[in-house]
Amino acid sequence: MTDTLLKMCDITKSFPGVLALDAVDLEVERGEIHGLVGENGAGKSTIIKVLAGVYKADGGSVDIDGETLADVTPRSVHDAGVRFIHQELHLVQHFTVTESVFMGQEEQTLLGLSARAMRAKAEAFFETALGTQLSGKTLIRDLGIAERKLVQIARALIDAKAKLVVFDEPTAPLTSGETDKLFAAIRKLKEQGIAMIYVSHYLAEITDICDRVTVLRNGQNAGRFDDVFDNSAPAMISAMVGREIDELFPTTEHSAAAPRLEIQSLCADAFNDVSLTVHRHEIVGIAGLVGSGREDLIDTIYGLKAPSSGTLKIDGIAQRFRAPSEAVAAGIALVPRDRRHDGLVLDMSVSDNVNLAALDSVSRWTLENRRASHAVATEMSETLDIRPRNIAATARLLSGGNQQKVVLGRWLNKGADIFILDEPTVGVDVGAKVEIYQHIENLAKDGVSVLVSSSDPGELIGLCDRILVMLRGKIVAEVSTTDLGVDTLVALTTGGAVQEVAV
Amino acid sequence: MTLRSVFARFGLIIIIVMFFSFFSYVSPVFLTFDNQVNIIEASAIVLILALGMTLVVAMGGIDLSIGIAFDFGAAFAVVALKDFGAAWYVACLIGVMGGALVGLLNAILIVGLKISPFMATLGTFFVGSSVERVFTNGGGPISYRRMPQEYRDLAVGDVFGIPTEVIIAAAVCLVYFVVLERSIFGKRIHAIGLQKDAANVAGIPVRRYMFVAFILASATCAIGGLIGSANIRMFTPLAGFSYLLDAIAAVFIGAAIHPKGRPNVIGTLVGVLFLGMIGNGLNLMGLDFNLKAALSGIILVSALALAVAQQRFR
Repeated sequence: MTDTLLKMCDITKSFPGVLALDAVDLEVERGEIHGLVGENGAGKSTIIKVLAGVYKADGGSVDIDGETLADVTPRSVHDAGVRFIHQELHLVQHFTVTESVFMGQEEQTLLGLSARAMRAKAEAFFETALGTQLSGKTLIRDLGIAERKLVQIARALIDAKAKLVVFDEPTAPLTSGETDKLFAAIRKLKEQGIAMIYVSHYLAEITDICDRVTVLRNGQNAGRFDDVFDNSAPAMISAMVGREIDELFPTTEHSAAAPRLEIQSLCADAFNDVSLTVHRHEIVGIAGLVGSGREDLIDTIYGLKAPSSGTLKIDGIAQRFRAPSEAVAAGIALVPRDRRHDGLVLDMSVSDNVNLAALDSVSRWTLENRRASHAVATEMSETLDIRPRNIAATARLLSGGNQQKVVLGRWLNKGADIFILDEPTVGVDVGAKVEIYQHIENLAKDGVSVLVSSSDPGELIGLCDRILVMLRGKIVAEVSTTDLGVDTLVALTTGGAVQEVAV
Repeated sequence: MTLRSVFARFGLIIIIVMFFSFFSYVSPVFLTFDNQVNIIEASAIVLILALGMTLVVAMGGIDLSIGIAFDFGAAFAVVALKDFGAAWYVACLIGVMGGALVGLLNAILIVGLKISPFMATLGTFFVGSSVERVFTNGGGPISYRRMPQEYRDLAVGDVFGIPTEVIIAAAVCLVYFVVLERSIFGKRIHAIGLQKDAANVAGIPVRRYMFVAFILASATCAIGGLIGSANIRMFTPLAGFSYLLDAIAAVFIGAAIHPKGRPNVIGTLVGVLFLGMIGNGLNLMGLDFNLKAALSGIILVSALALAVAQQRFR
């Protein structure tokens, strides 16, 4: 029985300089869960936004329930029964569950809001449609993230007119237990005949929950799987990256010297039982999807967040950082992922930013020696080729690559034994990228220990000696980068190959 | 440079010059040496409190309890002189420490308990006001007519003909300039005020700096309290509150004339003198002194609007 609910045909969309979608087809049948997978930039979110009416397609047609939509706008799509569950929650912390579900679609009588009726309706919806118990009086801030997701779903579906629900990375912030909860709700919706498009990076989830899967690559259809089995993941990955999966080479080589940075069974909210070591001269990578716990791990090592248990040793001495200042004093430097927010004081000059961590060294009697600080900044901007070569320029006005060099220059100036780089080349142009890689290599050559966290598999393979792979808060694999292929790393980070890998 | 961009860049300076010329024109007394000295002398205490406020605002906070620190400075010093017969310099030290207590409370609330500076210092203001009333059995002043001449001279004395309070204010101003605009402490304070998270990642002990800064600011305000109590030879509860709005206005006017819109010592000095000039000028014109608050408000709002315009036209 084929009963097509949504048919998107030959969808083409280009942005200045980029063909984001090139004649992409997407078909969803009534009552099925349809997976949509692809690497970053493959066009997943673009086609979702075309369907949502956020982007206007340059060409192609959208049919819902056999009728062609003349004009795809947020309004017309909503009227046709399509609902979107966005990645972000957009819920008000201090609202109750009922208030959140009915926000913007409140029911009222002449006597004002019918609070009791709405609450009963919300609670009944959670019970029958999502198969869970949730009190309408609970405040959003007291809910777990999975429950908030359910509130978000209820808000989209409470009018009972939905035919197709689009989930965009619904499980990214969830732990595996919470994911099961969400999946139960999704399966319950499927029983009610509601079709779903499920966008996710987690291939293990895709094979678990989806009936059919469409794979995109570089804005084109790269394959469709009409029968999804638990072991379809490798085939999907090769469709995603366009190559076959390589063999895996577990690492065996370890330097004999004692490690500089040693972490033993570190635990926090977002990750569990993480152990790792970084030696002198070594560049170690951490791979993982957004939400894998990678970011929290970096923050915890640097003292931005507190671990719940576990130890962190530097040169064999146990440390406990209550603030980054203590981590810096112990010889750690962080190039943060959000350089505009955490890396630079944007309204200060290049010189001030370069000197910010090591002001003591350019001061006399606690007064800033401007000649010395300017000399340091000038030297750094020469060494790193920071453009414009004007140390008085406000950091805000620099390009992404040059801003990143300023952050790097600060720590080169300060001198640290352990460099942690979080997404070091996001928003950095290609030329600056190569230079930054070169400086990282030089640091390792000089005996510095480097830890790189990145969502770019190619970057990690090119830069690192070995890579630790994080998935849902755990380190699931450690691989040497010798002969490591991008597709293998992608398979590991997406959970598409966990079964085959001995951890 | 278009007319608009000139006005956006120098608008506030133009307004100041315009007011100055206007008062000189309408009042024969305004421009006299004695009257100018009057303005400066009347601005001394406001300047001291505004400097403490500058430190806090530069760090990204606000301090609504500077009046309490002022009062505590006065109360601790007067009680030390009157009831314990302390030497004048000991009384000064005790007064400053009394003010620092207010800052300590702020620091604990803001850094320790992570309450926003606005709410925390508002709380301190309420609690402090009540403590003052209770301590004075309902708000009566504690007067001490026979205070040592040296203490009295803090307000009424002079050195080489320059009023002592002006010298003290100038000294505090100089120290603040060096600390906030030339020292690494000041640079870090500015970094915290501009982008706290980035300062934290850069390894600046943000919490420690904030702790110290709130205490420093309150201790500074207590110096104003010493002068105030020396002037009228008594401690008047809740006297410090009257300086709060002028201090805030001066800091933000000062930020508005800074090329990058930052709170800064020179700007605060200009802001204080400007407000002093307005009060003095209105007085000389025989206009209601109470109009000054309205004018300050209008000028402050225009100054901030100009600062926004400056960003746009740069």
